[in-house]
Amino acid sequence: MSTPHTPRIEELLPAYALGALDGDDLRELEAHLAAGCEECRRQLALWQGDLEALAAGVEPVAPSDVTRARVLRLAGGTDRAPAAPPRRTPWWMTAAAAVLLALALWGLLGQERMEREVRGLEAERDRLSRQVNGLEQQVGLARDEARRAQQALQVLAAPGVQSVLLAGLGPSPGAKGRTYVNPSTRDALFYAFDLPSLPADKTYELWFIAAGKPVAAGTFEVDPRGTGTVRVERVTDARQIQAWAVTIEPRGGVPQPTGAMVLKG
Amino acid sequence: MEEREIQDRDLMSRVAHRDGAAFARLFEVHAPVTLGLLQRILGARGEAEEVLQEVFLQIWMQADRYDGARSTPRGWILMLARSRALDRLRRRESSRRREEIVGEESGEAVSPLGTERLESLEVKRQVSSALGALSPDQRRCIELAFFEGLTHTQIAERLAAPLGTVKSRILLGMNKLRQALSARL
Repeated sequence: MSTPHTPRIEELLPAYALGALDGDDLRELEAHLAAGCEECRRQLALWQGDLEALAAGVEPVAPSDVTRARVLRLAGGTDRAPAAPPRRTPWWMTAAAAVLLALALWGLLGQERMEREVRGLEAERDRLSRQVNGLEQQVGLARDEARRAQQALQVLAAPGVQSVLLAGLGPSPGAKGRTYVNPSTRDALFYAFDLPSLPADKTYELWFIAAGKPVAAGTFEVDPRGTGTVRVERVTDARQIQAWAVTIEPRGGVPQPTGAMVLKG
Repeated sequence: MEEREIQDRDLMSRVAHRDGAAFARLFEVHAPVTLGLLQRILGARGEAEEVLQEVFLQIWMQADRYDGARSTPRGWILMLARSRALDRLRRRESSRRREEIVGEESGEAVSPLGTERLESLEVKRQVSSALGALSPDQRRCIELAFFEGLTHTQIAERLAAPLGTVKSRILLGMNKLRQALSARL
């Protein structure tokens, strides 16, 4: 319950406007004002008007050019700050500048840190990618190897496998070769040994002769030990094969033999 | 309403709408008296200029909060300034007395614009005259409250005077001030 509007309450108003009221007086008046006393509000405004005059009665002081320039810059004014430094930087400018600087530094450092991290992750990704590629190649090679071994085994271990030995001729008398034909599948395997390496534009080509005619069975290279191999699918019935031969031909092979024969059997 | 006040209200309205030119004009008109008040409260010129910048920053940022029904623009600005200066004064831990500093650091007591200078000087003369109607004790109590932010109790302690005496000096002094101001302004 608020106190009624009394002369005593009114007497508190000038000190309240001054900010001088304290203790019980202050609590009493604030409770009264909080209840919404319009008369007090009106009188308070009058006292505040008097205090405005009191405030305005001070000796005016011209602001420095620095202060003027800073204040007007707030509102996009064109005043430029004079060269002389201010006596003191206002706390809010210092604080704002410090915050902005900190944000900028944080931003820059953060950006640099992020970029470094991204670069590191990219390098790691590339390294892992290379490793994966290498492993995939190895797996691929191993699979090919296993597949070839499996195919070879199917030929070599087949019942009734037919084998022909090829002997070295002309430039490679010490060379040897051997063919294996699986009679049921008619897949054939050929191995060459001790053949010399050829120039880049040349290749070895395997032939089998059936019905008096040579049939191209594939080209091959030899490794540094002189070993090479060819797998031939679906050769002619082994019983009709009259001979096997290897010639030196242009790279890529030819449909009919043109070069020197180095193995025959 | 005086012509100056009408112009001020127009300026405040434009500043609330982010009118930089109006803000510049408001500064030119009110900064000298505001700075005078700040220096009167704080003593040190540099600190007063700092608070002046804070006050006008606040005006620029919060002009839309100005309530024309409650005070004149000048009253609003001066009370903003007083409030900030008293906060600063309360935070200040120095034992330096204001009176000592004023003598050392007071700046040029000159308003930059002719008409405003004349007007503020006239207000100053009238207020000085009104304050002259007060007894020295009444005037001292009011000044301690207004320019130093002291409460009844603090003034009583400062002046080593009974609390009731301080209260009545302020009450009587404010009433005399009003009479003197209304007779002259």
